[in-house]
Amino acid sequence: MLARTVTIRNALGMHARAAARFVHAAGAFQCRVTVTREDRADRIVDGKSILGLLLLAAARGVTIRISADGADEEDAIGALCRLVDAGFEDEP
Amino acid sequence: MIRVCGLPVSPGVAWGPAALMLQRHPAMRYGIGAALVGREIGRLDQAREASAAQLRAIRARVSQRAGADLASLFEAQVLMLDDELLVPRARHIVETDRVNADWALDRAFDEFCAVFAEVGDEYLRERRGDVADVVGRLRRNLLPATAGAVRGLADLAAPAVLVADELSPSVAAQLDPAMILGLAFETGSRTHHSAILARSLGIPAVAGASAVTRHISPGILVLVDGDAGEVVIDPAPEAIDQARARRARRAAGAGAAAARVAGPAATADGVAVRFLANIERLEEVDGARAAGAEGIGLFRSEFLLGGRALEALDEEAQYRTYRDLAERMAPHPVTIRTFDIDESQASGGAAGDQDEAGRARGEGPSRGPLGLRAIRLSLRHRAAFETQLRALARAGRHGAVRVLLPLVSSVDELREAKDALRSAAGEVEAAGWKLAPMPVGIMIEVPSAALTVDLLAADADFFSIGTNDLIQYCLAVDRSDGRVAALFDPLHPAILRVVRHVIRLARPRGRPVALCGEMAADPGALLLLLGLGVTEFSMSPAAIPEARELVRQVSMGDARRAAVRALNMPTSRDIAALLAARFPALATWPAGRDGRPHMEGQS
Repeated sequence: MLARTVTIRNALGMHARAAARFVHAAGAFQCRVTVTREDRADRIVDGKSILGLLLLAAARGVTIRISADGADEEDAIGALCRLVDAGFEDEP
Repeated sequence: MIRVCGLPVSPGVAWGPAALMLQRHPAMRYGIGAALVGREIGRLDQAREASAAQLRAIRARVSQRAGADLASLFEAQVLMLDDELLVPRARHIVETDRVNADWALDRAFDEFCAVFAEVGDEYLRERRGDVADVVGRLRRNLLPATAGAVRGLADLAAPAVLVADELSPSVAAQLDPAMILGLAFETGSRTHHSAILARSLGIPAVAGASAVTRHISPGILVLVDGDAGEVVIDPAPEAIDQARARRARRAAGAGAAAARVAGPAATADGVAVRFLANIERLEEVDGARAAGAEGIGLFRSEFLLGGRALEALDEEAQYRTYRDLAERMAPHPVTIRTFDIDESQASGGAAGDQDEAGRARGEGPSRGPLGLRAIRLSLRHRAAFETQLRALARAGRHGAVRVLLPLVSSVDELREAKDALRSAAGEVEAAGWKLAPMPVGIMIEVPSAALTVDLLAADADFFSIGTNDLIQYCLAVDRSDGRVAALFDPLHPAILRVVRHVIRLARPRGRPVALCGEMAADPGALLLLLGLGVTEFSMSPAAIPEARELVRQVSMGDARRAAVRALNMPTSRDIAALLAARFPALATWPAGRDGRPHMEGQS
């Protein structure tokens, strides 16, 4: 299992469309993906669940921890962190 | 005949038999025996399938019509359907708790809402609306085919006016303009996604028509006036005749406009009057030109946000829009108003209905007309404001771009905004661009600004009277509150006096005064404003041909004499009677109904 923290950078935070992109990206991998907020580790959500991700209420500036567990965990973590870093490729 | 007032969110007038859609109905809830569990799960799965298919179709359609950005919202909704917290969770509830599918779905949604409510962040909490839209669709798809309101739309035998308690964007996106003549709904605002979709479909619409569904019986005739923001139930034959005449004139006006707009408009006695357009999207430029607009008097830049947060809009995208606007309108001026939004819109909400409800209940800090909005908000979000100003400064190289600041209430505010502009322009020049000076004007909406036009004139290059807000602030009427909305009176003597005051202070200082509220789209009010000395009007493109035609038929002398009389009349009824007596043509003028002005919701 691998885990990495990353900070939400885009203005809108993890809104519906951003969460949808995250779910799509996570769905491309076999491994299990979970996400928590650094400041609220008690709430663990499934990284492949859009509603779960919305429930994190990860606004801009919130640091989240992405964990992946499975054969392709390394690729998954890398891809997901890049997506968050890129602001979920929000349109301008 | 019953009239219900609302907000005009999509122009035009339409009438027809009513089709009623209630989306806020409570689901039937009942326990089931073990034998029915399979059947209920089957219903749930069918509703899921139907919803997914509908959402994919909507996504494809919206993508063509309104762009990929709005379409991706529906992609997220497809994902929500299959989320373990929604349909799979409801399935589990059916199995373990033995309740019908409708109830299970509501329970699953309630559970989600309960967790969401704990979440502190205001903006994300508002996103619950996206999930509610999906749940609403599932609920409708659970209903038997004959009762499904939305599928009922597909069954309409003849075109109808759709009257709804609320209209979610996903339903609005499915409307067929050939079958839906007009729209009236109880919630919503001009910047609501459904209102934007109605405009893009060209369907006349009125939002915020309080309790309108209560008056609808099956098949009753309903008239939707998307110019005035009015719904008339069971209209008198004369009302229909007037609407028909207005529509014919507008259609003819659009065609004949090209021929008539060759020269500038002038009154019968030769006083030049300029008509500019109020628009909110680049695509409206062609229509504005065709209608004879001599420039853009008001570009509502906040529509560029399209529901996104202020910070999400970058400089390049804004620059391209402002530049294209200036180039396509050249040589005419393009007046771009900086973001006129409130706090919820700044964080990406689409002018929430919840906000309006909350305000009506008097909850929390003022999010309404007296709160943090327009220039006040821009000055607080300085980075986003300077981004917009840099984009404007760069666009200024491509045409006659003018900057218009909304809701300025003091000289200090104006100076602070101009400092921001100087700093933004400095940055642009440092990057190697050579800039031309750009006129900066202010909206006259707040009484304090109206009373100090002489002081503001030292720093402002022009003024633009925004009648909707000016009336609201002068008369202390919140139009979104139905109980006092009738007090919103454009012909109130105070309004005429304020307009005269502004012109008297601005004119000797060489500062032009335009008027950009839809008040001027009412023929009687237009003549009075003309008589008070306003000779530049900005209005929705559709209203320009009629207004030009009217101005041609009257003399400035007559208008001035009527205005002088009106200024000393005690009530707006007296003023309306005076107008009717002095200008008999108004009685048959299609846009003038009952001598009452019709207004647009936001200017």
